Amino acid sequence: MAFLAVYILEAHPSDVWQMESNIKDKVVFASPKDYEERSLVAGACVRKLGIKFPALLDGFENSTEKAYTGWPDRIYLIDAKGRIAYKSRPGPFGFKPQELRSALEHLPKTKSGSQPMHGEPLASLSESGRQR
Amino acid sequence: MRKFLVPFLIVLLVVYASFTAFISKAMRQPPETFARVMAKMPGPVVFLMLPFETLWTHARAGNLQAGDAAPDFSLMKLDKSETVQLSALTARQPVVLVFGSYT
Repeated sequence: MAFLAVYILEAHPSDVWQMESNIKDKVVFASPKDYEERSLVAGACVRKLGIKFPALLDGFENSTEKAYTGWPDRIYLIDAKGRIAYKSRPGPFGFKPQELRSALEHLPKTKSGSQPMHGEPLASLSESGRQR
Repeated sequence: MRKFLVPFLIVLLVVYASFTAFISKAMRQPPETFARVMAKMPGPVVFLMLPFETLWTHARAGNLQAGDAAPDFSLMKLDKSETVQLSALTARQPVVLVFGSYT
């Protein structure tokens, strides 16, 4: 089992759609102007929220976000055949780690018969969801 | 009085329907366009007046469904240590993708 964060375009950059809650949490960023700036904000995000699994950076043309309709946040589970096993509803309303947990439990068992390790990433996911 | 009430209610209904259609259409635009529209709305008016979550869930449903092949991508890790190709990973194991941003 692999967990990947896909860092996409900002949901509430200060120059577009500022949120009071983000001012309160001191998470105020203007829209990154290029890939490098996006990577700086993403780096701050990963450090601050303590995201435990690897983060990928979407291209500045947002091709992965577009393919998956990922904005502002969303969860997918892809099975070992490369097919979508679970797709959350669009966030923020549809961002529900507990739905992912139940989808993970319905995956066919791995060949080795061991339970996939997902407790810790799931816990950190619920935690980051609460902080937003 | 009755003479004015019915036309007034009809106008109200048309305004409400037009507003709903406008927001619903904005939700189908690229995220940044939608965000700019929302930023112009006074306070939580849109959230309170409209069935926002239902409209959003429909507008952002996307084309992918459970059972579909996951679109492949190849993206650089944030720490720039390597490029990760989704299909190479899913060939070995299931993969969870968590889309999001800081703000």
